[in-house]
Amino acid sequence: MNNFTEELVDDLAAKLLIGLSKEENKMVLDEFAIIDENLRKVETIPNIKEVEPMTHTLDDFTFSLRSDTAYDSISIEDALKNCEVIEGREVEVPKVVGGNDE
Amino acid sequence: MNKTIEELHELLKNKTITSQELIKESLKKSHEVNEKYNAFVTILDDAKETPITDNLLSGIPFGIKDNYSTKDILSTGSSNTLKNYVPFFNATAVEKLLNAGAVPVNKTVLDEFGMGGTGTTGHTGVVKNPWDPKRMTAGSSAGSACAVAAGVYPYALGSDTGDSIRKPAAYCGIVGYKPTYGMISRYGLFPFASSLDHCGVLTRSVKDAAIVVDNMKGLDEKDMTTWDSSPINLFQSITGDIKGKKLCYIKELCDINYYPDPSNELKEHLKNFREKLENFKSLGIEIESVSVDQNLLNALPSVYVAISCVEATSNMSNLTGIIFGPRGKGKNVTEMMMDHRTTGFSPLIKRRFIIGSYILQKENQERYFKNACRVRRLLVNTWKKLFEKYDAVILPVGSGPAKYLDEEKETLSKDTQVLEEHLQIGNFGGFPSITIPDGFINNLPVALNITGNCYDDANILNIAYALESSMDYKNQIAKEVE
Repeated sequence: MNNFTEELVDDLAAKLLIGLSKEENKMVLDEFAIIDENLRKVETIPNIKEVEPMTHTLDDFTFSLRSDTAYDSISIEDALKNCEVIEGREVEVPKVVGGNDE
Repeated sequence: MNKTIEELHELLKNKTITSQELIKESLKKSHEVNEKYNAFVTILDDAKETPITDNLLSGIPFGIKDNYSTKDILSTGSSNTLKNYVPFFNATAVEKLLNAGAVPVNKTVLDEFGMGGTGTTGHTGVVKNPWDPKRMTAGSSAGSACAVAAGVYPYALGSDTGDSIRKPAAYCGIVGYKPTYGMISRYGLFPFASSLDHCGVLTRSVKDAAIVVDNMKGLDEKDMTTWDSSPINLFQSITGDIKGKKLCYIKELCDINYYPDPSNELKEHLKNFREKLENFKSLGIEIESVSVDQNLLNALPSVYVAISCVEATSNMSNLTGIIFGPRGKGKNVTEMMMDHRTTGFSPLIKRRFIIGSYILQKENQERYFKNACRVRRLLVNTWKKLFEKYDAVILPVGSGPAKYLDEEKETLSKDTQVLEEHLQIGNFGGFPSITIPDGFINNLPVALNITGNCYDDANILNIAYALESSMDYKNQIAKEVE
C-alpha cells in the first residue's frame, strides 16, 4: 500500500499553490493508484537496481562550451510587457513584509 | 491549398498564383475550419505575402501550434494561465521558417501545455476531427492536425512529448514527424517535459515533412541540447530506393491473440497492418517479427506519466500570474498565486502536478522516479539493440481509428493498452519517428509508424517515403463521413 491519501493530496496541492475540489482530489488518488501498482511491478524486474537511471535523452551527446561573449539582455520594457500591474519600471505586488492584512 | 509544397512552389515561381492569393485562401479556409472544428486560438487576418525565392517554403502559408512563442502574437499554450500572454521573441524554429519566407496564418489549439492526448483540454474548447466531428483528433497537436487534414495549408508545427504529433496525425489521416531529439531547437517552445519534448511537423506527405524540417533544424546556442545536423539534407536524401532494408515489428503489440477481448476496429486495424507489411515486402525489404519483454512494455504508460509529471511540475512552477499571465485575486502574493493557479489550470494539469510533486519527494524518488528512469533505459536499450540489426521498427498507431469524443479519457485506466502508448518509446530515446496513413476502417483513417535510431532521420524518411508511395493515402484531404 502506498501512503498517498486524501490528506496528503491536499497537502501537496497547498504546497504547489493549487486548490483542489473533492472530485479532483479523488481523480488524483485514482490515477496514482494505477501508477503505484505498475511501478511496484517494476521492482520485481531482476537486477533493476543495477540499471543506471536514464535522465538525459541522448547518451552520446557532447556539450561544448559557448564562447564567453557578453550579449545585451532584454529591455525592462519587454520584461514588463506581460505584467498586468506595474509601477514605473517595477512589478507591483502587495506589501510582503508585515503586509498580509493590509 | 490541397497541393504539396513542391507543387505550390512551382505555381508561385511561374506566377500562376501569388503568395497573396494563397494567404487569402488559407485565411478564408481558417475561418471555415474554426467554425466547424474549433482548430485555432488565433487567426492572423493581417498576414502579409512574402517574396518568392528559391526556398520551397517562401510565400506559402502555415500554422503554428500555440505553445511556440511568436513575437507580438498571442501565445497561450491553450491555457487560461497564459490567455493574454504575448511574447517579445520568436521561438528559434519559428524564426527559421520566417527567414525562409514562410507565412504564418494562425495559431493552433492544443491540449493545455501539450499535457493531453485528446484535443479536448485547450482553454478555447474541444477540437473536432475533420473526418467526423463526433470523433477526437487526439492531441496534443490537435488544431495543427485538424487544419492540415482539412486543407488549410500544407503544414503546421507540432510538438511531441509522448506522441503528440504522431497520434493526431494518425487520427486525421496525415503525416506526423518528430526528428531526433535536439535536431530542432526547443528555444521558445513552452516546456512540458524537457527530456521528452521534441519539435516537429504535421504534413500531408513525407517529402513535405522533410522540406519543412530541413528549414527548422540546426544548432542553436539558445538550446544546449541541439546538435549540428548541417551535413543532413532530408529532402535531398529521399530516393525511394529501400531495397535491402530490414524492418521489424513487435509481436506482443501486433498479434491479435495478445488482446483478450479485441474490438472489431482493433481486429481490422491489425489485419490491415499485417496486409500492408506483406505488400511492402515487394519493395525488396525484409520485415521480421521480434519479441520484447512484456513486463517492460506493460510498465511503459506509468513510466511515461511518472517522468513527464515530474518534469512538468518543475517546468511550470513559474506560472504564478505575477510577472506574466492574468493576476489572481488575494490579499497577499501567496493568495494571488493560489487563485491564479487554481482557476487557471484544468483538472488534468493539477492532477499531473500533484503526482509529479509526490514522486519527487525525497522518500519516494527511489521507488517511483528512479525506477521509472531505469525502465526508460531498459526500453531504450531494447530498441537500440533492435536498431543494430534493423533499420527501423514498424508498428500500428493506436488501437484503431479516432475515438468518439464521448469516449474521452485522460486518466490511466488499468486496461490501458500498450498499443495506444508505445510511441512514447520514441521520446524516451529521442528516436526519429514518423507516422503515415496506411488505410481506412469504417471510412476513417488509420496509420502506421516507423521509428529508427538517433541521427538516422534521412534513412527513416526515405523508408517512410517508399512505403507511402506504395499506398494510396498521400496528400489526402479530410472528408466528413457523417
